[in-house]
Amino acid sequence: MNDIADIRHASSIGLTSYLCAKLSWLSKDGLIPVPVVHREISNIMTKLLEWVFGVSVLGAAWAFVTFDILKMSIPRPYREVAWPMPLYLLVSFGCYSLATVGYRVATFNDCDDAAKELQAQIIEAREDLRKKGLKF
Amino acid sequence: MATVTDKAVGASLVGFSLLLFTYYSIWVIVLPFVDADHVLHQYFLPREYTVILPGVAALVVLLCIGAFVGAVMLKNRKPKKVD
Repeated sequence: MNDIADIRHASSIGLTSYLCAKLSWLSKDGLIPVPVVHREISNIMTKLLEWVFGVSVLGAAWAFVTFDILKMSIPRPYREVAWPMPLYLLVSFGCYSLATVGYRVATFNDCDDAAKELQAQIIEAREDLRKKGLKF
Repeated sequence: MATVTDKAVGASLVGFSLLLFTYYSIWVIVLPFVDADHVLHQYFLPREYTVILPGVAALVVLLCIGAFVGAVMLKNRKPKKVD
């Protein structure tokens, strides 16, 4: 076993995948279950699962604060702020979307000259094709 | 550059959303920390409306979208084939 080459190979593909590749001879006879090879996006932890996990963590934190489940006796103003939080985030996201749409409409790069030129070219092409016999 | 009407519409959208965001933020986040007898409270509705108004607005938006989709679908009905 060439140790230096092995170490270089290990650093390039990641330690877990290297160990899995090396240990796979053990699993051929069913002796040791080889752990799932770690790729860029794991086959088990999909993006959807990540999002669901994140949202449920935040949702649980909100529920704990709003309904006082653990009796943490948070001061009243902070609880008053916390309970409309999901709706507030939704409204602020809506406002951000509206502002972005409005900004892009206001700064849209109209090319008037190019539009007129294009219309003229369309008329020209239509005339040309009509002369050549294409029915419109 | 965008036409004058485009710029006006865009600017009004941006202004409206900024206004809405500021009002709603003060309503939800700042007001609970302000004393009950402060003059600021008279410019804001009671706190229940922080939930009722966006809920009603969402319902209205959904109704409008549904009506629009329904109208377009009705308009694009193809006549049934006569056997």
